[in-house]
Amino acid sequence: MRKRGKFNIVKKFIFFIIFSVLGMSFCQTTPEFLFNEGNKAYNAADYENAISLYEQTLKMGKHSADVYYNLGNANYRLNKVAESVYYFEKAMLMRPNDKDIITNSTFANNMTIDAIEKIPVSQIDQIRNSIIETFSFDIWTFFTVILLWIFTILFLAYLFFIRARLKRIFFFSSLSILLLFILSFSITYSIDQNEKNKKFAILFSKQTDIWSEPNQQADRLFVLHEGAKMQLLDSLEEWQKIRIANGSEGWIKEASYKKIN
Amino acid sequence: MSLKFSVRYLLCFLLGFNFLIEAQVTFEAKVSKRRLGLNERLRIDFEMNENGDNFNPPSFSNFQVVSGPQQAVSRSWVNGVQSFSKTYTYFLTPKIKGKVTIGQAVVTIGGEIYKTTPVEIEVTNSVKKPNDPNNVDNILDGNIHLVAEVSKSAPYLNEGITVIYKLYFRNPISVSDVSELESPSYGDFWSHLIKIGRAEINMRGSYKGEPYNEVIWRKAVLYPQKTGKLVLEPLTLNLSLSIPSNRRDLFGRRIMTQTQKTITTGEKVIAVKDLPQNNKPENFSGAVGQFDFDVILNKDLLKASESFQAKIKVKGEGNLKLFNLPTINVPNTLEVYEPEHDEKVKITISGMQGTIEDNYTIVPQFQGKYPIPSIQFSYFDPKSKSYKILKSQDLIVDVFEGPTAVNTNQNSKSITPKTSIPVSDNAFRYIKLESKFESIDKKSFWRSQLFWTLVIFPVFILSLSFLLKRIFYGGNENVIKQKQRRAEQLTKKYLSSAKKHFDDQAQFYEVLERALHNYLKAKLKIETTELSKSKIKNLLHQNSVDKKIALEYVEVIESCERARYSPESLVNMRDDFKNASTLIEKIDRQI
Repeated sequence: MRKRGKFNIVKKFIFFIIFSVLGMSFCQTTPEFLFNEGNKAYNAADYENAISLYEQTLKMGKHSADVYYNLGNANYRLNKVAESVYYFEKAMLMRPNDKDIITNSTFANNMTIDAIEKIPVSQIDQIRNSIIETFSFDIWTFFTVILLWIFTILFLAYLFFIRARLKRIFFFSSLSILLLFILSFSITYSIDQNEKNKKFAILFSKQTDIWSEPNQQADRLFVLHEGAKMQLLDSLEEWQKIRIANGSEGWIKEASYKKIN
Repeated sequence: MSLKFSVRYLLCFLLGFNFLIEAQVTFEAKVSKRRLGLNERLRIDFEMNENGDNFNPPSFSNFQVVSGPQQAVSRSWVNGVQSFSKTYTYFLTPKIKGKVTIGQAVVTIGGEIYKTTPVEIEVTNSVKKPNDPNNVDNILDGNIHLVAEVSKSAPYLNEGITVIYKLYFRNPISVSDVSELESPSYGDFWSHLIKIGRAEINMRGSYKGEPYNEVIWRKAVLYPQKTGKLVLEPLTLNLSLSIPSNRRDLFGRRIMTQTQKTITTGEKVIAVKDLPQNNKPENFSGAVGQFDFDVILNKDLLKASESFQAKIKVKGEGNLKLFNLPTINVPNTLEVYEPEHDEKVKITISGMQGTIEDNYTIVPQFQGKYPIPSIQFSYFDPKSKSYKILKSQDLIVDVFEGPTAVNTNQNSKSITPKTSIPVSDNAFRYIKLESKFESIDKKSFWRSQLFWTLVIFPVFILSLSFLLKRIFYGGNENVIKQKQRRAEQLTKKYLSSAKKHFDDQAQFYEVLERALHNYLKAKLKIETTELSKSKIKNLLHQNSVDKKIALEYVEVIESCERARYSPESLVNMRDDFKNASTLIEKIDRQI
């Protein structure tokens, strides 16, 4: 009896070790691992599983443009309009110039009911946007700092070199870097202001009415369907003022939407 | 007895009186009986023997006027004596029991007003058999009826009801001809008359439990369009009837008499209820009945620029023609054309039955998947007294070939139709297989602490180095700099003043020489006033100036001296001036 008890303890111990090792290996789920699992599920056309795997990475507090893009794809396969549009928008926000994302995003937008014509952008704005969109916000910030450092070094060189020719070279180069720094800084600043002022959201409700005023006596202006992108403006109690791409504004109530940024 | 006697006496008296006084005006009321049952009729004649005007009957307030007034005028000559009588006749039925007085009738004869005496009549309980069963009116009343049967007297708005007009008659009446005098127009209803080919007599009909012959005269299906009490206008028929009379022919059969009879259903009131307001669906379009709802696509897999059809179909029983079908809602890149409306509705006695359809032709422009969201159709079911909502399924149309919305320039594609490999730009892209993850709540570098330190640090260094420079090189640097600046200014000044003296050779060279000396003094920080040419050479050499330039510099100074002391020599002031300024520039760069 006694021996048996001892054996039991040993057995339990061994089991404990085995299970803890197994458990450890299960615990070691990195976002990359989940991402790959999700990709496998996607490839096996198990889109729901893929979505849940991708979303686990988001729950872990990690994200990337690729995860959002894949989520958009999987939701598109399941014909979930709003979700797919939402994730493509998220992906586009992180990586604005990716061709895959742009292509599939238009596919998703094809599914939406509303045809919203965008206000034409002026040429100056187009140029401005193309400059801003060449790099992501972080890279612009990085540039700003680097340029400031280069300017500092050059200007120090200008200060401490005595030979007139070098001094002149350093002076002018530092001056031009300073100009670049100012440009880069203003771009970064404007992007930051834009992001702060422009909050976008995707409508998740199947259908919602847009009212002219935030009260029940108001007129109904138009109707939006799921997947519509709207800019969030003011809010008043349970009412939210929105603007859509064609410039129309109105108030919505009791609609479910998800913020992009 | 005594009454009889007195009446006779009165009659004799009157006759005698009449005989005695010719052309005496009489105006009197004669009743057929003074005592009658409640269900019997009374005939009253107002008779006058002169033509009168302005006949005013009494108000038969306790009677109902069955017919009348009928006017009869008779004129006769008997033995040269003219007699005239004019009679107004009324047929009355009493309304109440007891002693009833018929008031005075008034007439104007020859400018004078005559009145009848009031007649008192006693109305008793109904007698079992009306008097004179062979009276035409009595025969008609009991044996012929026109009835409007309404299937529902309190329907909902838009709920179908049927009205059947039936004519009942029984022996001994037979109907020989019917004509419609007044037809209802059904103002507040949507109405449909159901055709009845020939009026057929159903011998086995029954009316109030008694056997009757039944003729269905008309059937109508009505859908009330208004709430509240709606009046169904009466149907009035004029009948030609054959009724057996009291007389018999040679063989003992009764002789039939023809009469005309107008018969009406009377007005019927239908109380239309409004549909309940609570739980009313938002998209309710007024459908009332029992329906099935479906949305059907004729294909869900196609190429772009092909078309497909979406059919919205409502099938069932109810006010099919009286509501609009819900509209289809499709993604914006689908081109939708106006729907074709198709109705296959039969209207029977139980209402409208059948299907109505809206056929939409839809053309997709780009490839992709297009969900067609479910469409809601709601109706009111009057049987369960509740609203019902039907939803169609979510449908998907898959467009597998064609341009994408991304590539809007289709021209470039049509130019190169030879490529057998489809342009990959147009396809839906596959997922990404690799990813670099970053934290979602990663703070952006912008305005982070690191950012601010990285920005403030160089600024700090810059200001610090400014300070350092000032401390270490301090005043020295400043004095030297100031002197240097002053020298430069002087050189500029001298050179510019030399420029002014192009016309005076001696003065020009004097000024130029002084300027060159001053420049060197300032540049090389020499305090002494004396500067020999060899010393200048050495100094320039020490300050790593090219020998050649140093020599040139000295030469310029020499030429200046020469020109000053021998004013006649040929010199070129402009060249010397240029030389001097270029030399100064060169030295300035090298020191």
